[in-house]
Amino acid sequence: MKILVPVDGSEPANRAVEHLISKLAWYRDGVEVHLLNVQHPIPYGNRVSSVVGHDKIAQYHHDEGMAVLKGAMQKLDAAKVKYHYHIGVGDEAEIICKYAGEKGCDQIFMGTRGRGSVAGLLLGSVACKVIHLSPVPVLLVK
Amino acid sequence: MEFLNELQTAAFWVGLWQIILINIVLSGDNAVVIALAARSLPRRQQTQAVFWGAGAAVVLRIVLTIVAVELLKWPWLKLIGAALLLGIAVKLLIPEGGGDDGIESSDNLWAAIKIILIADLVMSLDNVIAVAAASRGSLTLLILGLAISIPLVVFGATMLMKLMERWPIIITIGAALLGWVAGEMAATDPAVKGWVEANAAYLDWVAPAVGVVVVVVVGKWLAARAEAGRRETVDLGEASETKVPH
Repeated sequence: MKILVPVDGSEPANRAVEHLISKLAWYRDGVEVHLLNVQHPIPYGNRVSSVVGHDKIAQYHHDEGMAVLKGAMQKLDAAKVKYHYHIGVGDEAEIICKYAGEKGCDQIFMGTRGRGSVAGLLLGSVACKVIHLSPVPVLLVK
Repeated sequence: MEFLNELQTAAFWVGLWQIILINIVLSGDNAVVIALAARSLPRRQQTQAVFWGAGAAVVLRIVLTIVAVELLKWPWLKLIGAALLLGIAVKLLIPEGGGDDGIESSDNLWAAIKIILIADLVMSLDNVIAVAAASRGSLTLLILGLAISIPLVVFGATMLMKLMERWPIIITIGAALLGWVAGEMAATDPAVKGWVEANAAYLDWVAPAVGVVVVVVVGKWLAARAEAGRRETVDLGEASETKVPH
């Protein structure tokens, strides 16, 4: 079973990873974990890339993404769970759902801050948007 | 006492806010370049790259802005400036296209400073037209605007970048404001000013409003097109390789 685990380095995201590790027995046939971090596109992309070049921007996203993924990777390493990792660039929810579709994932497993409905409404929740866009079942961990 | 009188008008304070926002949004790209070019350098050299790069930007900007303010007093030049400004504002909104453009990497101090200087040259020119337009010929506004926004770019390059990454709407607002200023500039060009005042006073606000709409609509449309043109999602992780702990 292929599970996509989007992480952003936040407390809820890391908790979701821990939760997944502790519930691995749920998935009898073994799990293929795909970690994904989505980076915001750099501002002024067009103007900036014409001066610094595309490679430098890609390198920046890669480094920032790896720094965010580190926590989740360490947890999985410690639990001796195999995983793939990906770094995407763009709108979080859109990229998460696109990945789930493109990589043929069976489930999205993610943490959510679980804000009240008012704060959620104002701030907009990635998890909420993922639920709307996702081509596969979504499991939210609070 | 002309300066003190100026301080008491509402137009001055509106102008000051406009010029600060425009300065920040237009220096933002410069800040991103500085942050990106300097980040692979050792810590001590980072400071040097930012210092020299930003220092050059400051000098260039001040000199060019003063020249621009003079130029904008000539007939037709405001109209040309307005057209340029609309183009600049739209371009701010276009995301990165992707693909390799063969620009050398900047892993040493000189390469980094070179990149920052090229960015200064290319980007300052744009800023100058906008700032000169927003100051509406007031030297006080011009100097205050530069004095407030330049330190932000010099000391806050990375912070500015993070802020705009998180809330890209800041850039959209700034670009819309540029559209407004462009419209205002077009309607007050010495060549058309007399005609506008006599026959079409409503252009005072219609032209700026049209500027805002043009910038936001065209910018968003081009951005959506650039986004759709991307073949697939970018994957920067080593997707194919599974990490197997021992």
